[in-house]
Amino acid sequence: MENKDLYVLSAKQVSIQQPLDESWMQDPITYAEPYVRSIDPSFKDYVSPIEARRMGKILKRALATSKEAIKASGLESVDAIVTGTGYGCIENTEFFLDALSNEGEQLLKPTYFMQSTHNTISSLVAIQTKNHGYNATYAHKGISFDSALQDAWMQFRLGKINSALVGGHDEMTPTFYKILRKGGVMGLDDEMCGEAAVSVVLGRQSEGALCRLTGFKMLHQPSMNSLMDSVTTMLQTVGKSLSDIDYVLTGISGNHQSDSDYLSECKTLFGGKTLLKFKHLFGESFTASGIGFYVAAQCLKAGFVPASLFVDQERITDKRPSCILLYNHSDGKNCSLTLLEA
Amino acid sequence: MKPILITGTGVVSAIGLGKAETLSALLENRSGVGPLVYLKTEHKEFPVGEVKMTDAEMAERLGIPKGAVTTRTALMGMLALGEALEDAALTPDMLPKVGFISGTTVGGMDMSEQFYLDYVNGEAHSEYISVHDCGSCSEMTANHFGKFAFATTLSTACSSAANAIILGANMIRCGEADIVVVGGSECITKFHLNGFNSLMILDTEPCRPFDATRHGLNLGEGAAYLVLESEESAKRRGVKAQAVLSGYGNACDAFHQTASSPDGEGAYRAMKEALQVAGLQTSDIDYINAHGTGTPNNDASESQAMKRLFGENVPPMSSTKPFTGHTTSASGSIEAVFCIMALQHGFLPVNLNWSQPMEDGVIPVSQPTQKELRHVLCNAFGFGGNDSSLLLSKLEM
Repeated sequence: MENKDLYVLSAKQVSIQQPLDESWMQDPITYAEPYVRSIDPSFKDYVSPIEARRMGKILKRALATSKEAIKASGLESVDAIVTGTGYGCIENTEFFLDALSNEGEQLLKPTYFMQSTHNTISSLVAIQTKNHGYNATYAHKGISFDSALQDAWMQFRLGKINSALVGGHDEMTPTFYKILRKGGVMGLDDEMCGEAAVSVVLGRQSEGALCRLTGFKMLHQPSMNSLMDSVTTMLQTVGKSLSDIDYVLTGISGNHQSDSDYLSECKTLFGGKTLLKFKHLFGESFTASGIGFYVAAQCLKAGFVPASLFVDQERITDKRPSCILLYNHSDGKNCSLTLLEA
Repeated sequence: MKPILITGTGVVSAIGLGKAETLSALLENRSGVGPLVYLKTEHKEFPVGEVKMTDAEMAERLGIPKGAVTTRTALMGMLALGEALEDAALTPDMLPKVGFISGTTVGGMDMSEQFYLDYVNGEAHSEYISVHDCGSCSEMTANHFGKFAFATTLSTACSSAANAIILGANMIRCGEADIVVVGGSECITKFHLNGFNSLMILDTEPCRPFDATRHGLNLGEGAAYLVLESEESAKRRGVKAQAVLSGYGNACDAFHQTASSPDGEGAYRAMKEALQVAGLQTSDIDYINAHGTGTPNNDASESQAMKRLFGENVPPMSSTKPFTGHTTSASGSIEAVFCIMALQHGFLPVNLNWSQPMEDGVIPVSQPTQKELRHVLCNAFGFGGNDSSLLLSKLEM
């Protein structure tokens, strides 16, 4: 088993904040609407206009964040491409379902179907970067990105890979937003929904890295005791204790039930640790945990936590972060713990 | 490599509910592909490999109350998972230490395609919205039996279940779990039947993989799960292994979203990696369960990959898709169970419907053959070039 350090070499996003930069740390955009679409960069640097015409937004964003993340990592290529997406290429799925429902089964064209499966994203990135390495896609609600991260993390430990592009991608059309609210899946109470695309490159070299990834654990419907055991074990493995954690990044989102669960669970698990949030700036989606990972990594690199991220305004501090624990309880069933260190 | 034992299996497909029916169909060359009965579609011209039960019949068998929100993929998954858990002597109280990894792509699409206009315009059937996604489908399957330690879902189209098996093996090797139940489930939907039809890769005749006259695939459905377990855990629990997962490979063809490369690069790399992980030579392989969908493109590409890796000595090879149809996301685990049966009972599954060699192709097993097998490869390839290969071996006594 390899115990060499694992670094986050780069992290790029396209979301409802300014794309492909970290200006949200100084000047976050705030929205009054409960649902907004991403602010897209110009895609012409990442895909030719002819190809772009046939691609859904989720694919263009994935190419932009993936290519930028690989460029920023300083690597020529990566050993593995692992993607998480809760709903996959939902816009093309919608087009195909729409045609199927309204026009029947006789006149369907293949275009939308061809780009409707979840793994279209990961394989498109592989095709465009000519990458024959390990390639996989996870589609498991709010822990889709986390699952992709875990896959890559284990392969590093097994010495199977030395670098990986880990992505999280979800798109949300107006129709789909409406459907998700109707189904009670997300966007309830004061929860804002936002699309998200995030790509991170993990590797072995420390030079220029944003931070280190030192621990990860995923649990399904855990009891408080098993969660507590997992936190303790994770910290012990890296020779740390709870007192070494500077901040806990939560998924507080404006969903009343979920937020109150976060607050009470965090109190039990982490005592009086300073809690952070990010979904009020980036919105909720099945890829939100990937954005959380990006946010924490950028804070560790920048050496400060923007005031806008503090859950409790009275706890705002300029304490330099050296260790951030990400706690994602997703829909209350799937939990993940991720430890990032400066 | 730390050995990964397979201590339980469960399967449901067009050739049967459970392992006993499945084995006898395989030994007696009885195909489950036939005229469409259960799926509501206009496309009656395509033969399919349906599981021979309605959703309601499956639910009843599982003791699920009438009117409960379920999906066909989840129901088939439960049937296969139940058999696998029982086979491995895993009881509900043990599940909090057991992981669950499933592969699917359609998830709850069977319901979404029926109720889509209601989702968009009305209020009816909105209880099915939250089970549209793949993850919900896996959780519904898992939660029927208890609380697993963790659950996640692979979605790499037709190699989903194979990749779920690979992830489970890595988790055991990393010490993240001692026991992980892995596999996949997928029902036929109007969505992908029409999608495959629009790509013109469905045959109106029974499919003929590796045959000169092959003209496309028949869709199938089903589910299978394997219980992967570390040696220490199996010893501690006193359970016997049925086979060993001795190697596996995953590579990307990186060629096209819906077509395989002419030289089968992804397939070649996946099989080669599986051999490397197992520390075996090409001459050690006694049988290959090919992906062999019956489309002109796949079978030509896969033939090239096998020839590149094995040269003149391609081992006995067959596609079992004429038995079941192409069970898409579930095919990797369903066919892995077929391979385990072949290892246990010493036979080569027949490539049904084959009569004429294809140009530059590999000739499949076309007659029932008894043969002692030690190591077999099982291929599963997906759209986008997500190619995986599993190496299953007989337990060394």
